Amino acid sequence: MNMHSTTDQITINGVTLNAIPGQRPIHVDHCDTVVKLFAARCSELGTRTAHREKDYGIWQSYSWADYWDHAKWMGLGLVALGLKRGEVVSILSEDRREWAYADMGIQCVGGVASGVYTTDSAAQLEYLLRDSDSRFLFVEDDEQLDKYLEIAKNAKQVTKVIILENEGLHDLDNDRCIFIDDLYDLGREYDAKHPGFFEAEIDKAKPADTGLLIYTSGTTGMPKGAMLTQENIIAAMECGAHTLPVFPDDEQLCFLPLCHILERDVSIYFPLAAKSTVNFAESPETVFDNMQEVSPTVFTAVPRVWEKVYSRVLVLAQEATWIGRMAFGLAIKAGMKRADYLVNGQPVPAMVAFNYAIWNTLVLKNLRVMLGMDRLRRGTTGAAPISPELLKWYWGIGVPLIEGYGMTENTGIATVNQPTLNRIGSIGHAYPGMQVRLGEASEIQTFGLCNFKGYWNNNEKTAETFTDDGWLRTGDVGRIDDDGFVTITGRIKDIIITAGGKNITPAEIESRLKFSHYISDAVIIGDKRKYLTCLIMIDQENVEKYAQDHKVPFSDFASLCGAEDVGALIRREVEKVNAEFARVEQIKDFRLINVLLTAEDEELTATMKLKRGFVEKKHSALIEQMY
Amino acid sequence: MADQPLLQIKNLESFYGPIMAIRGASLSVKKGEIVTVLGANGAGKSTLLKTISGIMDPEKGQIIFEGEEIQGREPHVIVKKGIVHVPEGREVFPLLTVDENLSLGAYTRSDTAEIAKDRQLVFDYFPILAERRKQEAGTLSGGQQQMLAIGRGLMLRPKIMLLDEPSLGLSPLLVQEIFAILKRLNEDEGVTMMLVEQNAAVALNLADMGYVMEIGRIVMDGTAERLMASEDIKSFYLGHQEAGQRSEKRWKKKKTWR
Repeated sequence: MNMHSTTDQITINGVTLNAIPGQRPIHVDHCDTVVKLFAARCSELGTRTAHREKDYGIWQSYSWADYWDHAKWMGLGLVALGLKRGEVVSILSEDRREWAYADMGIQCVGGVASGVYTTDSAAQLEYLLRDSDSRFLFVEDDEQLDKYLEIAKNAKQVTKVIILENEGLHDLDNDRCIFIDDLYDLGREYDAKHPGFFEAEIDKAKPADTGLLIYTSGTTGMPKGAMLTQENIIAAMECGAHTLPVFPDDEQLCFLPLCHILERDVSIYFPLAAKSTVNFAESPETVFDNMQEVSPTVFTAVPRVWEKVYSRVLVLAQEATWIGRMAFGLAIKAGMKRADYLVNGQPVPAMVAFNYAIWNTLVLKNLRVMLGMDRLRRGTTGAAPISPELLKWYWGIGVPLIEGYGMTENTGIATVNQPTLNRIGSIGHAYPGMQVRLGEASEIQTFGLCNFKGYWNNNEKTAETFTDDGWLRTGDVGRIDDDGFVTITGRIKDIIITAGGKNITPAEIESRLKFSHYISDAVIIGDKRKYLTCLIMIDQENVEKYAQDHKVPFSDFASLCGAEDVGALIRREVEKVNAEFARVEQIKDFRLINVLLTAEDEELTATMKLKRGFVEKKHSALIEQMY
Repeated sequence: MADQPLLQIKNLESFYGPIMAIRGASLSVKKGEIVTVLGANGAGKSTLLKTISGIMDPEKGQIIFEGEEIQGREPHVIVKKGIVHVPEGREVFPLLTVDENLSLGAYTRSDTAEIAKDRQLVFDYFPILAERRKQEAGTLSGGQQQMLAIGRGLMLRPKIMLLDEPSLGLSPLLVQEIFAILKRLNEDEGVTMMLVEQNAAVALNLADMGYVMEIGRIVMDGTAERLMASEDIKSFYLGHQEAGQRSEKRWKKKKTWR
């Protein structure tokens, strides 16, 4: 381990860092690579709990020593099978502790870890395996394995597939497939024959080594693999330690895909620095129950999840007795009043604080217990725009929710708010050590050690992504106010220029629409057109409830979207939003997407957001109806 | 009002104690049509029929029969309007003879001559019942009991028959036989039917329209042809196996109901 730091050191929450952030050589607890830090943490923490996972309905704990052993066996097993430094290993699985083991095991022996979304199709898997030239593939179960088998003949460079769950596969007879226990055995054997090999491989790691590939979902063209280095991740940990404190006794809940940089940072890398415990949700469907069970102290989610929790609370409140409804209404009012001061950084007047304290004891505290947010010190949201009203609502119920901003190409780290330094509607200040500026056409650009190395085998795209002076183009348009808060107004590529020549950034309008709990997502149309229109994806649960409460007959999803009253409901919501915008920015007409989309559909991202390009193409008939 | 459906259900909600068995179902049946409601155990199919026939009261929603709201009315009032419920598991009166069972089906009627005609009609469709007319119903085979239950329903000269899983517990051959008779009854006598089934293949073959119910809600509807062509119906209700990569495939795609 490199113990010769040249710069002054400081200690934040027990973790030693450079006193001046963003400087090379960058260290976390004197380690200049993730894998060295991993080794140091495992030997230091030993039997303490690193992960928890449910097994047959009971939460089981797994220690840092387990983390080390399994990662070591995986890494050595892959070496025994022929993995060379710098080669890619893909992981196709839902979140589980083996995901973290594999990520670390692969990187420790010099491999590059690349995640694949479980919602990807066989064809997409084929593309990713070929583009990354993956030598090995981890698959979770029979369902994911079948995707590989479908395209096996086109992905010959994959020498072995490692299966994590053997259920339903006892008869599998394929010499390219092995089960995880076989890999562990290979690793153990290799370790016995070559003691000290694993540790030596860890020491070989250099800050500039690529540790992971993250494929970014291009709305146009094929996904590109962003290469993130050991240094990028250490830099991300440093940024996190400065702004988003996590303590060794913190509990986290991991449920967003680990293929995504946000969850990867928050649930694998930051806990390495902070020594906290990560609980893996059973499945994406059970998050809300798991949330209650775990009651995390810090929690990161995408806007879609925060929106869902909000509408669940509203529905529950509507169904309460009238006393309950009244109490809830008053409690929210008291909370929102206090939030007015909090979100503007002003001191809360004594009367307002007192009123809140009463309603907190009577209602809000119980509400937070019910949501599994009673221990929550800080909630964070990112990866997509969130509506300011929603953020404020969470402050109102006593949950400090802050928004951050980043993208794969800067290791997910660009700007962030802090509970004490927060401006709702903005994405906060640049992380310490990162720099943000506005470039041409008000494009947000970042600079710092979190900026990635480049795209895998794609120098052309890499060159396009950086400016001549080495700043990263984010593709987002924004502004920076006098206090340094950055606000995003849209995507460069999404800017709509109407036939009248007016420039419109659709993101603002779309995010206002999404605040309606009947609208799950929306895409504004209007480029080179006379006026703006909109395609809307309704929130199934809430609109069904509305229909049921208002005696609107419907059978399936299409008939729900087709019901006149539902159309009228959405029209009212659209008109509410229209009232807030200038005439050219108003939505003249809209259509509902009458197909219930799932994450498997190409119109949706893995985080369930509409992809503009695909939506416009697939629903062009609906769009043409409006012009 | 030729276009008006014979039976129309709007936003129906029914509870078993605290459990919401039907969570807002809407559907309609036109005169002369056979409509089938498919769904797994516990989807709320039988509850739906029981709510229509008045055995259960809905918490919310409307049941409109021939333009009149009938939800929450007593079962005997509803029977008189021409809605007959053939319950699941046959439920004939075991100690009464076939004849007596049939007579009970016509309990609300007094036109003796017409009743005799209908009895003959039942015997025409189910000759085996004529042979056993003096036999106690409890001694009949399962298939014969099912025939008797249907025959008893016909004795009312119903405007609509609600059939709850007529295929339950019968051999495939008997199922075919009974469904063939149901088809003839529909074609020749013009009996409108609402058929609840787990056996999706026979039900869709018989029906004009279909609805799929899952945990108390309608998730898909359409003509029987459309449902039969749907990938989800094929893999979850008709037992089609997609060609997999391995001989044994355990997992199934998520349902999308398209």
